[in-house]
Amino acid sequence: MLGALAGRLGAAAATAVLSTAAVFLLIRAVPGDVVGEMLGQSAGDQAAEAALRAFFGLDRPLWQQYLGWAGDVLRGDLGDSWRQGLPVAGIVGEAFLVTLQIGLVTLAVALLVGVPLGVVAGVRQGRWPDLVVEAFSLLALSAPVFWTGMVLLIAAGAWLGWSPPLIYAGPGENLSDNLESIALPVLALALLQAAAYAQFARQQTAMVMRQDFIRAAIARGLPARLVYGRHLLRNVAIPLVTFAGVILVQILGGVVVVETLFAIPGLGRTLLAAIQARDYPVLQGALLVAVLIALLVNLLVDLLYAAIDPRVRGA
Amino acid sequence: MWTPSITRRAALLGTAGLLAAPALPLAQGAALDIYGPADPQARRGGTLTVAIANEPPNLDPFHQAGDARTAVTVLMYQGLMYEHPSGEARPLLAESMQISPDGLTYTFRLRRNVTFHTGQPMSSADVKYSYDYIRDASNGSPGAADFGAIAEIATPDDHTVVIRLNRPNASLPMTLTNRFGCVVPKDTFAAQNARARLSQQSVGTGPFRLAEFRPQSHIRMQRFPQYWEAGQPYLEAILFSTQPNAASLLQALRNRRADVALLPRPQDAEQLRDVQGLNIGTAPSLRQNTLDLDGNFAQLRDVRVRQAIALSIDKEAVMQASIGGHGTVLGTTVAAMQESWGAPLNELATQRPDLDRARALLAEAGHGGGFQLDLVSIIGFEWMDPAAVTIAQQLQRVGIRLNIQRVELGVWLNAFRTRNMRFTFNDWGTQPDPHILYYRHFRSPPQGADFRNWNNAEADRLLDQGMETSDPAERRRIYVQLQKLMSETVPTIMLFSPNLVTVTQSRVRNYAQHPTGWWFGLARSWIAA
Repeated sequence: MLGALAGRLGAAAATAVLSTAAVFLLIRAVPGDVVGEMLGQSAGDQAAEAALRAFFGLDRPLWQQYLGWAGDVLRGDLGDSWRQGLPVAGIVGEAFLVTLQIGLVTLAVALLVGVPLGVVAGVRQGRWPDLVVEAFSLLALSAPVFWTGMVLLIAAGAWLGWSPPLIYAGPGENLSDNLESIALPVLALALLQAAAYAQFARQQTAMVMRQDFIRAAIARGLPARLVYGRHLLRNVAIPLVTFAGVILVQILGGVVVVETLFAIPGLGRTLLAAIQARDYPVLQGALLVAVLIALLVNLLVDLLYAAIDPRVRGA
Repeated sequence: MWTPSITRRAALLGTAGLLAAPALPLAQGAALDIYGPADPQARRGGTLTVAIANEPPNLDPFHQAGDARTAVTVLMYQGLMYEHPSGEARPLLAESMQISPDGLTYTFRLRRNVTFHTGQPMSSADVKYSYDYIRDASNGSPGAADFGAIAEIATPDDHTVVIRLNRPNASLPMTLTNRFGCVVPKDTFAAQNARARLSQQSVGTGPFRLAEFRPQSHIRMQRFPQYWEAGQPYLEAILFSTQPNAASLLQALRNRRADVALLPRPQDAEQLRDVQGLNIGTAPSLRQNTLDLDGNFAQLRDVRVRQAIALSIDKEAVMQASIGGHGTVLGTTVAAMQESWGAPLNELATQRPDLDRARALLAEAGHGGGFQLDLVSIIGFEWMDPAAVTIAQQLQRVGIRLNIQRVELGVWLNAFRTRNMRFTFNDWGTQPDPHILYYRHFRSPPQGADFRNWNNAEADRLLDQGMETSDPAERRRIYVQLQKLMSETVPTIMLFSPNLVTVTQSRVRNYAQHPTGWWFGLARSWIAA
């Protein structure tokens, strides 16, 4: 168990190093840098340009820049933003908490809506509940998040005369404003993920329903509560937990789009702004955190999986 | 108080925009004729919410060039002069300005009782420090080039600043306005992390000071109680909220979450016409949406090809397709400067479509069979997409087949900086002065940057002459000549200036829109009960 864990941690660390190096090189391969962004069309003065480039250390060779950054990261210092000059750790940390809240609430909503729908559809395969759930899934899955978000925004404005608060508030600052701020983004993301969940749960349920032990249980005349509660759900639960990990990572990906659409100052919007401004330290810091989160979630899922299903432990 | 005197006359002579010196309205009471008129009926207090489409990357008036930055920092930082909408630079932190007869020495008397947001009083040493800092290119300010004319800054006493120039430069007063001419306390940048701190704390002299800047969310400004204009400003606070797109900005206006906004797309005004309680104001702007023609690129090296392109384009149709009727078709200067500095449109060449002449020119240049040309369009500038399609159709008529290339802004800026513009759209603004508008963009290096590789000796001569000439009538004559040259040899085709469309809730009073599109007007606004 410990050996397997160490192996996984090692693989995760290697992934982190490789991906940060790739990001570091890729962003620098994109034309334009922070100096161009700051000068805009006021460019033209070579000396001022050179001075700015030196200020940001962009005049040093690439490998020196990377080693400098990596060294700082190992010492726990993500550096300062090139746009605002604030510490990257603070910017990314704050933004991540915003994104995490949306991610977790979305996951909860998707689970609460998607799993029951999927299980019901799976149990009643081919009948009307199944068809309704299928129709919902198909619609929600084929609508891109940015479209769903836009429609929700317009609908809320046109029909309810309501729009989210202009300024995002954290749950600690003002809970009701916070809920208003995240309502639409969560809904936009959750519709898609609930549909994905429903499909997955339906498929898993249908599979388990065909198993001999369920048929046997029904044949033995066990009450439905026991058939479904004890035999069906427990078997369906394991893959659903794995799926939660996949979904959470997916939500964190989709959040970039909704954050931009709904003006939520989360990790996605921070990343996008950093790309546009060529704010390398924030970009690298944010991506490092994103990569670590993805690795951590996968690791946790593996561990959780082992905890639920004794058969996996030895593997 | 700003009183007419010999000094004022001297000031007027040296500044832009005054063709025949009109009588200036005398400022009554403490509030000056800047930012818009004061309002004796104004109610004090309250927080005004402004929805903005572009968030400034930071709030450093010395190192960040972008319009998004200037739009908000003008409320916190002030220069010696103010870019009056009339096109004239008027004293702001200066009380008066005197120019020596040879045009080489400018003497500024400073306003007294000016306090920085840090609590220190302003003195001539602060002015000297600020301008010495910005003009030293090794400090990396995008404004350095503008201040290149300055040879030396002296401070004979606490309230006098003497600026000596290398050569006469009639636009110096406009250079000392609020984009790069801001005054900060001496040694501001000597402090550790000084640049970063400017995004958390303002150190200017303006009517508002920075209270909070949350990137990707908002900027909050608070009234500065020690502000030097007695009784100003009226608002207690201003909240700038960054909106992710035009749709959410409109929504915020409709649902009264925002009090004021400048529409990023002027044509969106149509969508707000029927909304109760909204006032929609329209003003000409100092921006220009243009097509630039790089004289070093492919077929554009031949002036006849450039002329043929200009003669094939129907600017009115391009504007209609891009922003509807919400702008002004241009000749060779921006809309808000046409009256003061623009050449009369009927005296300019290549302004109206003439397809026969265009075809003849192309045939003469050896392109009778037509040719293919790349047109660069920048992603994120919405007007460029419909404009590109329209222009492609228009050029098709003379046999030029456009291949539209959409590039990212960073990529585009890189090409621009390295003077590799090719055939491209551009979208840029200016301060209301012809030297500032034309010089850096069109004067060949090393004095200017000549981004379009126009490489025109006659233009260089006119640009230098215009810079050194103070007499308004003579100055205008020179710039009209320059514009005629531009219309004949086509380094750029100025298509149109989009209107500045400002939307305010009815409770917002006394907001005047400045032609730069910056938020000067909020310094005089108030909120009705």
